[in-house]
Amino acid sequence: MLELKDLSKRFGDTLAVDGVTLSVGRGELVGVIGRSGSGKSTLLRLINRLAEPTDGSVAWDGAPIKGLSGKGLRRWRHSCAMIFQQFNLSPRLDVLTNVLVGVAAKRPLWTSMIKFFPASDRARAVLELDTLDMASAALQRAGTLSGGQQQRVAIARALMQDPSIILADEPVASLDPVNAEVVMGALQRACRERDIPVLVSLHSLDIARRYCTRIVAMAKGRVVFDGPPSALTQTIVDQIYAGRNNRPSLIEDEATMEVAAA
Amino acid sequence: MTLVAPSGDTAPPAVHSPWPGLIRGTFATAACLAALAAMMIDLKMAPETLLSGSSKLGRFIASMVPPSDGGDSLRILRSLAETFAMAVAGTALAIVAALPLGLLGAKTVVSNGLLHFLFRRCLDIFRGVPALVWALIFISAFGLGPFAGVVALAFADIPNLAKLFAETLENCDRGPVEGARASGVSKILEIRFGLVPQVAPVLASQCLYYLESNFRHAAVLGIVGAGGIGFELDERIRIFAFDQVAFIVLLYMLCVAALDFVSRQLRARLA
Amino acid sequence: MSAGPNSVVETFELARRRGLRRQWLQSGLGLLVFSLILGVSFQRSQLFSSEIGGDPLGRIGEFLVRMTPSLHGEVLFESRSTPGSLASWYYDLPVWLAAIWQTIEMAIIATVLGSLGAVVASLLCASNLMPWRPVRFIVRRSLEVTRTMPDLVLALILVAAFGVGPLPGVITLSISTMGGLGKLFAEINEEVDPRQLEALDAAGAGTLNKIRYGVFPQVLPAYASYGLLRLEGNLAAAGALGIVGAGGIGLELQRAITYTEYNTYLAILILMVSMIFLIDLLSETIRHRLIRLDEGGQ
Ligand SMILES: Nc1ncnc2c1ncn2[C@@H]1O[C@H](COP(=O)(O)OP(=O)(O)OP(=O)(O)O)[C@@H](O)[C@H]1O
Ligand SMILES: [Mg+2]
Repeated sequence: MLELKDLSKRFGDTLAVDGVTLSVGRGELVGVIGRSGSGKSTLLRLINRLAEPTDGSVAWDGAPIKGLSGKGLRRWRHSCAMIFQQFNLSPRLDVLTNVLVGVAAKRPLWTSMIKFFPASDRARAVLELDTLDMASAALQRAGTLSGGQQQRVAIARALMQDPSIILADEPVASLDPVNAEVVMGALQRACRERDIPVLVSLHSLDIARRYCTRIVAMAKGRVVFDGPPSALTQTIVDQIYAGRNNRPSLIEDEATMEVAAA
Repeated sequence: MTLVAPSGDTAPPAVHSPWPGLIRGTFATAACLAALAAMMIDLKMAPETLLSGSSKLGRFIASMVPPSDGGDSLRILRSLAETFAMAVAGTALAIVAALPLGLLGAKTVVSNGLLHFLFRRCLDIFRGVPALVWALIFISAFGLGPFAGVVALAFADIPNLAKLFAETLENCDRGPVEGARASGVSKILEIRFGLVPQVAPVLASQCLYYLESNFRHAAVLGIVGAGGIGFELDERIRIFAFDQVAFIVLLYMLCVAALDFVSRQLRARLA
Repeated sequence: MSAGPNSVVETFELARRRGLRRQWLQSGLGLLVFSLILGVSFQRSQLFSSEIGGDPLGRIGEFLVRMTPSLHGEVLFESRSTPGSLASWYYDLPVWLAAIWQTIEMAIIATVLGSLGAVVASLLCASNLMPWRPVRFIVRRSLEVTRTMPDLVLALILVAAFGVGPLPGVITLSISTMGGLGKLFAEINEEVDPRQLEALDAAGAGTLNKIRYGVFPQVLPAYASYGLLRLEGNLAAAGALGIVGAGGIGLELQRAITYTEYNTYLAILILMVSMIFLIDLLSETIRHRLIRLDEGGQ
C-alpha cells in the first residue's frame, strides 16, 4: 500500500504539488488527470524521489521513503519502476541492453560496466520483450525504433525491475491510438497479474475511463477529484478543466487543448 | 530594373529614399578603401617589390617542374611518418588532458555561474596561442626534436578540445540518464548507460577532426626545429631546391587527402 | 507468438552470438590497429626516450622559472633603467606595439583581399549561379588545394621570393583566407532563395544585376559574419607567420628566443594573447549584432 500524506513540492514561487494525501492499494490502476501544469508529473516524480518533496511524506507498506539515501534510495527506485513520455531509453544502446538496465542495480558493478549480464537475465529480458511483441528487435539500436516500439521497450525495462509499484508519466501522449492501446493494455496486465499499484498520468479522459479502476484529478497541485471512473461526471470534468469553455471529454491530447485555449 | 530599389548596403530599401543611402554607402566604401590603402603603404607593399618578387616566384615555380625526390625518398617518407606520429601523439596527449578540463568546464557539472564563466574565459585566453608559439617555448625547454612539437600540439589543442567537450556534455539529452536513474542504478552506471553512449561518438568524432588538423600543424612545426616533414621542407627551401620542395608538398597533400578520407569514413560510421 | 518461450530465447541467443563474434572481431582488430599506431607514434616522437634528457616536467618547470621576470614590488613603477621594474621588463614596448599593429594590419588586409577573392571564387563555383560545370570544377579543386597547403610552407617560399617582411605574410594569409572562405561562401550562395533569382530573371536582369540585387542582399550578413571569424583566425596566424620571417610580432618572438631572453618572450606573448583576446571579444559582439540583424531583417 502506497501512502502519500500532505505531500508538497515548491519550485521557487510555484507550488507544483500542494498537500496531496492519497493512498493506493494493490491491484489499483490509478489514472492521474488534470490540465497541463497541474502537477501530475511532479507528483509521480516525488514518489520515486526523482524530485525531492518540500513537505509531507511518502510511505510504502508503512515504511517511510523520506529519509532514504544512497543504497536505500536506489533500492526504492528499483522497486518502483517509472515509464516516461519520452521513453528515456539510451538510443545508441541496443534494445536488450536497455531492458537489462532494469536489473543492473542488482548485479555486480563491474559486470554491468562491460554490459555483461548472466544468461538467465538475458532470457528473461527476451521473454519480457516477447510478451510485448518486441523480441525480434532485441539486437537493434533503441534509437532506430518507432515511438510505440520504444515505449514497449521501456515497459519491458520497467517489468524487468520486478516492481512493487509502476509509475507512468503520460506513457501514451506521443503514441498513435493503436500503440496507445498496446501500452495501456500492458500496464493493465502488469497491474492485474502482479497485483501491484500502477499510477498513470493521462491526458485522454477516454483512455482513463476505459482502463483505470480509479481516477485522481489534479488542479493547481491539489487533488480535486478521487473516485471510480463512473463517478467522474461531466460537471466534475468541467470543474477540473475550469476556465475552458470547450467540452474536455472530447479532448484527446495536449495539442488540441492548447489550441482550444488559444 | 524596377523590382528592387537600389540603395546603399547599409540603408534598408523602401524606408528611406535611396539617394542619402547611396551617398552614405559610397562615402563609407571610399573611407574603407583609403584606410586599406594607408595600411598597405604602412606595410611597404609597393608595386615594385611585388613585381620583382613575382618574377622571382615565377622562376621558383618554373624550377618546380618536374618534381624530384632528390634521390632520398626514403628519408622523406620517414619524416612524413614522423609528422603523422607527432600528430597522433599530440592529439592523444591533448585528449587525455582535455577530458577532465571539459568536465570542469561543463555547466551541468560545475553549476556555479561565476566559476563557469571564469574557467571558460581562461580557456578562451589560451585558445589564442598558436601551436607555433608553444613550439618555440618547448624547443627551448626540450631542445630540437619531435618531442617539443608533440607537447606544443597538445598545448594548442587542450583549450579547444576542452571547450568542445564541455559543450558536448552541456548539450546532451538528460532523458536517458534519468531513465537509468529511475531504474535505481548507481551514479556510475547512470553515466555508463545514459551519458557515455550519447557522448562518446561525438567526442571521438571531434578527436578525429583534431587529428586531421594536427597533421597540418605538425608539418609546420618542423620549420622551427620540431622535426618531421617541415624540417626537410625548410632545408630545401633554403637551398632553393624547389623541385624537391614540390615533390614533398605534393606527397604531403596526398597524405592529407588520404587522412581526411579515412577520418571522414570513420566519422560517418560514428554518426 | 506461436513458438514456445524456449525457442524464442534460443533464436535470440543464436543471433546474439553471431553478432557478438563479428563485433569482437571488429573491435579487437580496431583496438589492435589503434594501439599499434599510438605506441609507434609515442615511440617515434621520443615520448619514451631519454634523448630529451629525461624529466620532462622538471624541464618545463625550469623553463617556466626562467621565463618569469624578476619583478620587485617596491620598484615596480620605476623607470626602465631600474632592474625589477615593469618598464625594464617591457623595455622595448614601443617596438613591440608597432609590431603588433603591423600584425593587425596584415590580418586586416589579408582578410579583406582574401574575402574579395573568395566572393569571386564562390560565385564561380556555386551551382545556381555558374552554369558551366568545368569552371565550377576547376575553381573548387583550386580552392581545395589552397586549403591543404600549410600556410607556413607557402610563407617560407614567399619569403624566399619577396624577402623578409610583411608582404609575404599578407599574400600567404590572403591565399589561405580565399581557400577557406571560398568554400563557405559557395555553400551560402547555393542556399539563396531561388524565388528572388527567378523574379529577377523574369524582369530580364543580366547575371551581374542578378548577383547584385538577388544574391548579395541575402548573403552579405553571413559573409560578414564568417569574414570576422576568419579575421580572428588570421590574427593568430599572422602572429605565428612572423616566426618564419613574414613580418609582425612573430619576428620579435623569434628574436627573443634566439637571444635566449625568455622573460622578454613571456612579455611579448602576453601582449600578443591579450591582443587576440580583445579582438575576439570585439568581433564576437559585432557578429552577434550581425546575426540579430540577419534574423530581424529576413
Ligand atoms: N524543474 C522544475 N523547475 C521549476 N518549475 C517546475 C519544474 N518542474 C515543474 N515545474 C512547475 O511545476 C508545475 C507543475 O508541473 P508538472 O510538470 O508537474 O505539470 P504536469 O501536470 O505534468 O503538466 P503537463 O501535463 O504539461 O506535463 C508547473 O507550473 C511547472 O512550471
Ligand atoms: Mg507532465
